[in-house]
Amino acid sequence: MFIHNFKYILKALFKNKMLIFWTFAFPIILGTFFNMAFSDIEKNEMLDIIDIAVVNNNEFKDSVIFTEIFKNLSDKNNDKRIFNTKYVNEEEAKNLLEDDKISGYLIIENSPKVVVTTSGINETILKYTTEEVSQYEEIIKNLTNKIASEEISTNSEYLNNLDELNNKIYSRITKLINENNVNIKNISSNNLSYTMIEFYTLIAMTCLYGGILSMSALNCNLANQSKKGCRVQMSPTSKKIIVFSSVLASYLTQLVGLILLFIYTIFVLKVDYGNNLPMITLLSLVGSLAGLSLGIFISSVFKTSENTKTGIILAFTMFGCFLSGMMGITMKYIVDKNIPILNKINPANMITDGFYSLYYYDTLDRFYFNIISLLIFSALLISISINSLRRQKYDSI
Amino acid sequence: MIVFKTFLKILNKNKFIIIMYTAILIFFGGMNMSTNDKSTNFVTSKPDVLIINNDEDIGITKNLIDYIKSNSNIIDIKNDEDAINDALFYRDVNYIIYIPTNFRSYFLENKNPQIEIKTTGDYQASLAEMMLERYLKVANIYNSILDNEDDIIESINNTLSKEVKAEITSKLDTDSLSKVTLFYNFSNYSILAGCVYVICLILSSFKDEKIRKRTIISSTNYKKINRNLLISNSLFALILWFFYVILSLVLLGDIMFSIHGLICIINSFIFTICALTLAFLLANLINSKDAINGIVNVVALGSSFLCGAFVPMEWLPDSVIKIAHFLPSYWYIKTNELLKTMEIFNFDTMKPIIINMAVIILFSIGFIIITNYFSRKKQKFA
Repeated sequence: MFIHNFKYILKALFKNKMLIFWTFAFPIILGTFFNMAFSDIEKNEMLDIIDIAVVNNNEFKDSVIFTEIFKNLSDKNNDKRIFNTKYVNEEEAKNLLEDDKISGYLIIENSPKVVVTTSGINETILKYTTEEVSQYEEIIKNLTNKIASEEISTNSEYLNNLDELNNKIYSRITKLINENNVNIKNISSNNLSYTMIEFYTLIAMTCLYGGILSMSALNCNLANQSKKGCRVQMSPTSKKIIVFSSVLASYLTQLVGLILLFIYTIFVLKVDYGNNLPMITLLSLVGSLAGLSLGIFISSVFKTSENTKTGIILAFTMFGCFLSGMMGITMKYIVDKNIPILNKINPANMITDGFYSLYYYDTLDRFYFNIISLLIFSALLISISINSLRRQKYDSI
Repeated sequence: MIVFKTFLKILNKNKFIIIMYTAILIFFGGMNMSTNDKSTNFVTSKPDVLIINNDEDIGITKNLIDYIKSNSNIIDIKNDEDAINDALFYRDVNYIIYIPTNFRSYFLENKNPQIEIKTTGDYQASLAEMMLERYLKVANIYNSILDNEDDIIESINNTLSKEVKAEITSKLDTDSLSKVTLFYNFSNYSILAGCVYVICLILSSFKDEKIRKRTIISSTNYKKINRNLLISNSLFALILWFFYVILSLVLLGDIMFSIHGLICIINSFIFTICALTLAFLLANLINSKDAINGIVNVVALGSSFLCGAFVPMEWLPDSVIKIAHFLPSYWYIKTNELLKTMEIFNFDTMKPIIINMAVIILFSIGFIIITNYFSRKKQKFA
């Protein structure tokens, strides 16, 4: 009997086009959209080489430090290159700016000045660099006297040869400026790609949408849902066997959908789930179990039509995914930070956060916390469902 | 009139979903409108920085912190490594600076102490790194020549306070205009989803076999029924459009009463007509009520993602943009994006906008032709 029911429920589920669309096709379609829309975002947030112009007047040509540093920062062979510089006259610079060919231009008239159209990040960097150069001028001015007296005290011959003294001072300071003596060490993790969260919520959505499958499978056995249900309830078979085989069939269907999604996201969309394959599998199994129990719960506790039950599952899942960052990644962070309890009881977030902790964290504490939360969530819903499924009697249907 | 009444009845039954789509628009729209400062003066971009100071807050250490503070937004996060890592991942902070213990004493001994940082690697973080590097570089230079800490600090501050003038040439209120673009880009999703969902739902109710048979044998001419359906559906689309326009006037204010706003409104009107014709086409192709939900999601979400309604167009990969040319949403959103930076309105600058609008109208005509083709085919085989 177990195998018989299992087989037919499996067949019924796979033949229901609507169910298969929502649990198999929709996540894959949505994932494709995410990939198309988000694949370039992070690349665009990196600093690009900025197009600028410099007004090549006499004052600019006379300032050795400005010409040298701008030449250096625009040098194609310099790996710290930040500018692509055009040397033009003021009229041309204005035209370039108007046509949006450059972010801004530098002009030195008495003092250096940058001209831009808006106040964005590129413009800020141009202003910043210009400031830096004029600050070096300032350093040279400040230190000249100090070094001069030092040098003269060690070697009084300089008094007779001021040119050599000046050269010596200048070269000493420029050497200091050019020495890259800043000691900064980057200790951030390599896995910082936040768009991954979108795909994790997608997995969470698929796990919970699986609830529609178990709900639909269980409805076949409920007398108040369908004629088929009446007949099944009348049959002399143990309820345990019927319910268990239906639920198992829907769990299997759900896992097939999930495996397809994983294959698609890993091999076609190149989503990074971290390297811990056993843990990823564990999380997927437990996540699907949470979806399964959600479906059983809604199917057994709510006494309404199948359409309304589907609506409840879809709405619950979408709201959960919204809180865990599907419609805007910062949403998850805002909720985690300000109303943590809301995301601690949200199964969509438990799944998303599980994948996130596998991807970003080195330790597994947070991951296990999510697994245990999901198990508690499932156990709670299943025990309530068992309670309401037991000893059902109908006066009339 | 009876057709219109039925139309209203079905509409009333589905008011929930219509309200839901509208609520989403208001929610996102409202979130984007939260920052409201206009600026035509130069404002330097400030990165979000977190400083974890393990040294005493005096002398050179304090001065470094003060300098970073005055040039960035300091983010306050509780000192817990998990919370800090989360903040970095979700870009709540772009750059984290860990000042080691004994930073000050090692620095003054010319030992060049190491500073650890965490960075998101985006342009805000690059800016923060430029800032930190500049400070350390200037500090190291003075430190190698001067001996007294107070002298060093004073020289650093004098040097770093030297600013360069920045002149802004455009007088365009780009902040408000980007909000207009954001709002109308997002309405691409709401208008499409709203029109397609409601119109498919209503037409499929009329296509139910029993109902169709009854309407066919009734004394009312089928042409009249079709005409009434067309008018009532157009009316619905118009109301939907009108509602979003009113909403934009409320949310965006003055800027909507400019020529930019006017073109946005005209553009969205043309797009609504296109959405209407697309909805008619889909309603003709769909036979089961169950399929409507799926089709709406795929069509509305798909064209919104591909054409830049959610993610700005300039951030989409080129291949996606190429595909987007085949969708009306692309031409609608392109006009909105053009308006964002348009300063002068004359025939030359308006030309691309007029072309975009013409393309949308061509799409609508195309949809009507295809609809007629399919419905005639269906009539013959019915």
